[in-house]
Amino acid sequence: MFILRFLARRLGQGAIIIFLVSALIFTLLRVVPGDPVRLMVGGMAPDTLVEEIAAEMGLRDPIHVQFGRYMGKVLQGDLGESFVRPASGAAVGGASFDDSTRGERAKVLDLIAETAPMTLQLALLAMVFALMIGVPIGVWGGLYPGRLPDRLALYTSSLFVSLPNFWLGIVLALLLSVKLNLLPAIGYRGFSYTILPALVLAVEIAPFIIRTLTVSVAGVMGQSFIDIARVRGLSRNQIVFRHALKNSAVPLLNLLGVQFSMLLGGVLVIEFIFDYPGLGLLTINAVMQRDFPLIQGIAIVTAAVFVLINIAVDLLATAIDPRLDY
Amino acid sequence: MDRRNFLRYGAMAGAALGAARINPDFFFSSAFAQEARPLVFLSAENITGNWDPTAHTTLSQTNIEGFVMGYLTRAPMRPDDPEKVVYELATEITELDAHRLQIRLRDGVTFHDGKPFTSEDVKATFEYGAKLDRPKQVYPGGPDTFAVETPDDHTVIVDTSKGGYGASLFIFLASYLPILSAKDVAEGPKGVLSQRLNGTGPFRFVEQRGNDTVMEAYEGYFRGAPKVTGVTFSFVGDATTRMLSLMNGQADVIERLEPEQVETLEARDDIKISRLVSVENKYLWFRCSKPPFDDWRVRKAACHAIDRSMIMEIMGSAGEASSNFVSPIKFGYVDLENYPEYDPEECQRLLAEAGYPGGEGLPELEYITSTGFYPKTKEYGELIAALLQEQGFPVTLNVMEVAAWNERLYDRPGGGPGHMVDCGWSTGSPEPDLVLRTHFHSSSKRICGIVDPEIDAALDAERDAPSLEARKESLQTNLMPMLADKVPALSLFTSVLIHGMRANVDGLFIYPDGQSDASMTTLG
Repeated sequence: MFILRFLARRLGQGAIIIFLVSALIFTLLRVVPGDPVRLMVGGMAPDTLVEEIAAEMGLRDPIHVQFGRYMGKVLQGDLGESFVRPASGAAVGGASFDDSTRGERAKVLDLIAETAPMTLQLALLAMVFALMIGVPIGVWGGLYPGRLPDRLALYTSSLFVSLPNFWLGIVLALLLSVKLNLLPAIGYRGFSYTILPALVLAVEIAPFIIRTLTVSVAGVMGQSFIDIARVRGLSRNQIVFRHALKNSAVPLLNLLGVQFSMLLGGVLVIEFIFDYPGLGLLTINAVMQRDFPLIQGIAIVTAAVFVLINIAVDLLATAIDPRLDY
Repeated sequence: MDRRNFLRYGAMAGAALGAARINPDFFFSSAFAQEARPLVFLSAENITGNWDPTAHTTLSQTNIEGFVMGYLTRAPMRPDDPEKVVYELATEITELDAHRLQIRLRDGVTFHDGKPFTSEDVKATFEYGAKLDRPKQVYPGGPDTFAVETPDDHTVIVDTSKGGYGASLFIFLASYLPILSAKDVAEGPKGVLSQRLNGTGPFRFVEQRGNDTVMEAYEGYFRGAPKVTGVTFSFVGDATTRMLSLMNGQADVIERLEPEQVETLEARDDIKISRLVSVENKYLWFRCSKPPFDDWRVRKAACHAIDRSMIMEIMGSAGEASSNFVSPIKFGYVDLENYPEYDPEECQRLLAEAGYPGGEGLPELEYITSTGFYPKTKEYGELIAALLQEQGFPVTLNVMEVAAWNERLYDRPGGGPGHMVDCGWSTGSPEPDLVLRTHFHSSSKRICGIVDPEIDAALDAERDAPSLEARKESLQTNLMPMLADKVPALSLFTSVLIHGMRANVDGLFIYPDGQSDASMTTLG
């Protein structure tokens, strides 16, 4: 019963969040400068044609009418078609007003389905790298609060958080790809293309993991049940790995949930720098081209993923610590 | 079910579902394990998605057409001999008289779909490419102004007597519009022409895969199959990303290098740089159909306010000074004596004469430019705005991302957005009318919107000249000086086309419009 009640409540809350995000994005897109129809039909098309097509597409209707129509389709699982992208998925521009390929525009859901796994792969690998960097440093710092490992953890996280990701991306590409020829850097033709951008993202995330773990491990190690464990004769390794880490995991889990959601929606710069064909690159091009249906679709999917991840994180947290009640 | 079991079973179901959908190729594909591989070309510009060559004026797509399509002639357009043409699908072009041109065609050529190339294809291409509704309308006056006869499969006679202009105009245009298959043309603009490229060139169009245009070597190419297996032409928007790709060997050729990137790349032994004076001039276009630039004196005053030598300093190796409205590698180019130079006193005199002494009374002016496509536009845009402000022009510079700028670029009824727009114009032929007539004739006026009967008459006069020599004289002594007086736009400089390529790329010929001939290219 707990599961059913929990899921019903959280999914209901999630639906409201997604609706609000959709309404906000939908409205903002229609009030910012830049007429998508002009971009679709080409700069040389006459104004009358622009207006004719805009009216046909319903883009001159009041915003609430457009939104109602859009949400009606979304509820049926239809995120619409891209304004500018053909079915091949290419980023295009400068089309002419009698462009016959308009009849075979790419479906937004297809474009997202093609690119989301790429970003998911990037985000997961970034998370793995971030944990590999952050967990040892964070735990070590937490075990020796106020001493050298703690200070090193602080300095490391301060350094990492200060590195701009676009700069780090270029430097790592120059070092690992250009100089050492160890890894490919640009585009995607296989798993190896994910490593470099994932490393950059990992450096961005690691400071949060380090600081969270340092504080939570230090807090747990100061609690009375740890002293009791020592009295019970448990070794230091047993105390750290069986008890301290498990009790420090809940704040880390919450952090990872938020960070993972952020990664899915916020890899724009990294995907642009590495020309990595994921959701981020798709989003940048969609914004540049005023591709309203695509931007709206990405926002809805990202919001939905954010909601689902947070539900999963809370479930996991209650599984780790049954005292928690969400 | 308790929460632990729910999580456990949920995770197992998710993993099973994910595993079933995994394509192993998704993970395993070595980046560097490529032996016989295609030439990888990274472009700064995206394509249109409509493959009809008459449907666009987009450079990146024109470059792709250069690999796939065949042309009657090719124009290398080098500064020492800008009028030179090299025969490709044509073997001979003869002026029979002022209005008749005979073109002999190469035998034994086939399109990539297997259809033999004949005079019917040339006729269909000429007539289709002349249609007034084509965004890249090429041949002058529309299809009603000329007739094409095909006495046999390998002879074409173009007769322009109906239009009254010289048939010699077709000589340079022959190296601009690729030859389409008559069979494709018959289906019209909404047929197969828009779906794929079908040419007679050295590479066959295979597919558009995301941002990659995939082409493979065409075994039946009439000059012999290319040595590289194909060409992958990809849009990569970021200049730094393109440079990194070249440096780490993922790309073979990249285009539109910034001057600073040239300095970095020149220091490397494994990379070489190609610099070419291009067919593209960069212009400051005035909106001539609305105040205050509907008055030629205000336009000319603005031109005299701009010190182009300072712009050249900003452009460095990416620009070449010019004093005309076309590039020095175009037919008829001449350094115009009356081309407006930096002259603040003359600027003030003209402003006063126009009724705006010291700029007083001028409306707020918007100067629209882009960033991220052409080199240094923001930098020299700021300079131009400052120089204009110094003379009393109340100018605001509006720097836009490419899509927003492109949306505002062209003339509209009432003058279009803003008062001045920065844009280049690049056409792959020595034919000057592809710039001059396109922009300054009242039947076209793409950006500046000028309607001036005198300019129209001068354009018609040079077009109607009976021979190339007569055309050149008309261009140099009548039309071009007139444009320098009326300045519907100010040509700021000629772009220098800079490509970076791996040192092992041999035999790649680059045309000044950015097209490349890779039919003899090897990757050593």
